[in-house]
Amino acid sequence: MDVGIGEYLALCSILFGIGAIGFLTRRNMLIQLMTIEIMLNSVVFMLLAFNRVHTGSQAGQVFGFFVIAVAAAEAAVGLAILISYFRIKNSVETDKADLLKH
Amino acid sequence: MMELLPVASLLMLVSAGLAIMLLDVFTKGRAELPFVTTIALLAAAAISAAALFAPAPTDVPAFITDYLSVDKYGLFFDVVIALGAALASLLAGGYLREHGLERGEYYVLILFSALGAMVMARAVDLLTLFVGLETLSLGVYSLVGYRRTSARATEAAVKYFLLGSFASAIFLFGAALIYGATGHTGFRSIGEVIAAGHAPVMLVLLGLAMLVAGLGFKVSAVPFHMWTPDAYEGAPTSTTAFMSVVVKSAAFAVFLRLLAVGFGDELSRGAGGWPALLTILAAVTMVYGNLAAVAQSSVKRMLAYSSIAHAGYLLLGLAAVGTKPAEATSAVLYYLAAYTVSNALVLGALIWSGSHGKEATSYADLAGLGRRHPAVGAAFLVGVLSLMGFPPTAGFFGKWYVFSAAVQADMVGMTILAVLSSAVGAFYYLKVLVYLYMKSPEEGAPVAVPMKSSYVVFALVLAAYFVMKMGLTPARYLDAALAAASGLIG
Amino acid sequence: MFAVYLPVFIMLGVATLVAVGMFTATSLAGPKNMTAEKAIPYESGSETTGANHIRMSIKFYLTAILFVVFDIEAVFLYPWAAMFRSLGWVGFVEMLLFIVILGVTLIYAWKKGALEWES
Repeated sequence: MDVGIGEYLALCSILFGIGAIGFLTRRNMLIQLMTIEIMLNSVVFMLLAFNRVHTGSQAGQVFGFFVIAVAAAEAAVGLAILISYFRIKNSVETDKADLLKH
Repeated sequence: MMELLPVASLLMLVSAGLAIMLLDVFTKGRAELPFVTTIALLAAAAISAAALFAPAPTDVPAFITDYLSVDKYGLFFDVVIALGAALASLLAGGYLREHGLERGEYYVLILFSALGAMVMARAVDLLTLFVGLETLSLGVYSLVGYRRTSARATEAAVKYFLLGSFASAIFLFGAALIYGATGHTGFRSIGEVIAAGHAPVMLVLLGLAMLVAGLGFKVSAVPFHMWTPDAYEGAPTSTTAFMSVVVKSAAFAVFLRLLAVGFGDELSRGAGGWPALLTILAAVTMVYGNLAAVAQSSVKRMLAYSSIAHAGYLLLGLAAVGTKPAEATSAVLYYLAAYTVSNALVLGALIWSGSHGKEATSYADLAGLGRRHPAVGAAFLVGVLSLMGFPPTAGFFGKWYVFSAAVQADMVGMTILAVLSSAVGAFYYLKVLVYLYMKSPEEGAPVAVPMKSSYVVFALVLAAYFVMKMGLTPARYLDAALAAASGLIG
Repeated sequence: MFAVYLPVFIMLGVATLVAVGMFTATSLAGPKNMTAEKAIPYESGSETTGANHIRMSIKFYLTAILFVVFDIEAVFLYPWAAMFRSLGWVGFVEMLLFIVILGVTLIYAWKKGALEWES
């Protein structure tokens, strides 16, 4: 028996869910960056899995490449913002971001 | 090379961005970057404006049209986005210098973000949409956190970045689901497969909901709006201007195109489809935005909530696209153009009101300013009346067109709600004028003195010109919007 | 599904058993007489100094960020290289433009001093 699209879809949804729940429950920005990466990776995986079904073109694979590249750029910007936040707050806990409340 | 002509405005911004990067490092920051940036953006706007009135190009190679449209809809947004970004870079030229923040990166980021916005507005494929969206967003995250020694700016950037990347991930998951359901990433092919009934309905609806959530974040629709007030308040005011005009236009442009082209079929529009979803979002967004704006003491924060409220009106227009495509699309286009110039005018006036050491941000900072400095007061007056929707300004006709499109689409109840909530809006907009003309600064409080900057003055004159012109001769601009809409609807 | 992957699961089970078994066996069989000298962390025979979390220089992050960004762009080069002949000159020119854009950003990073370790 072969692993079908259903199993892939389930795996990706679980991964995405882990990332989303992690993002919403953790308050450490570094961890939150990682959870976003998990979510993006689940998307890449899903695109590749769907490409096995839609064999007409390689659109899913190409999309996957772009997601990987953009995720790297996003991580770079995120780390830069994280560093300037750490320099000011001496912490990476996002709970401490409370200046902008009215 | 001629085949690249339809995307000349995009190439213009790429080369200008790269040139400015080199110019900045090789002249050690002595170059007059705001000037160069504005010229590049205005040139891009002019190229696209010329193409907008020229016959549509033929024989555009498929490697362009498969990913980026060359229709008038895209060109219309090229002009709006380039103009909005040019206004923001002019305002930045005055603001950053006055407050000692001038660095070359800012203008490079403005150019590349504007490029991302244009790619988004022209995207006809989920892939280009995603790349454009991220190019825009990554630039804007950095523009928000640009003042990196300021705790408020950095906090704003952290919040915006985290929520923004979360929204991007949700958007991407939706895009992957749509690809899985239909086997295509191009909007038109997606629409064809769904209309033919070859796609699993549940997968399509789930994917569509996630796409709407991701884009709803970018247009700051309630309940995805949490970042807006913080990011608007914490960012440098010139960035606030850029976000409120460029990000909003680009996100709405692609939102409309995606829904009309990719999900314009009976199935996606029927009961429980996107028009119903957007109507609910629109109602919540406009009511919440207007009510929350009333309670604010900071003008920047008030404008953030007002931008949420305006997103609500625009979502109403978007929901109407389902039944009345031509009227609603042109109304939304006109509204976005009007909002771009009006909001740039108000934020520009706010920038103008402060000078080194004392930025004007709260209502109290504006007390009596209109009497002491009539020119600043006049800029506020025109901009605020336009945002409020007072005739004969651009904002009035924007609301008029959107609301009448909604009425034609049988959304009378929603239109009444929109009119009522914009009446609430009049309260906080008029409060600005009350402070400008009827209050006096408190004893001993630091008084904001307007800055002297020809960049800011030029930006305000340009914005005020368009606000009045679009209000006095709305038909010309509506015709352009209708022509652009016909490029989309066909 | 299990039929195909049975060997993998067996292998997984055996590997887990062996690893857990070896650790349990050594900790049961080995003599334990803990002294103060033995309890300190081993650092090549020298005295340990400082806290166990050292703060790294911020420059590592800058270099790492630059590395990640430039490194990942290579994902676009590999597919191009694999399809080099069929893409022909159009593909070559496009990739050249891509590299030129990357090159400009590299010059920018260099002139901004992002590549200087000492400063």
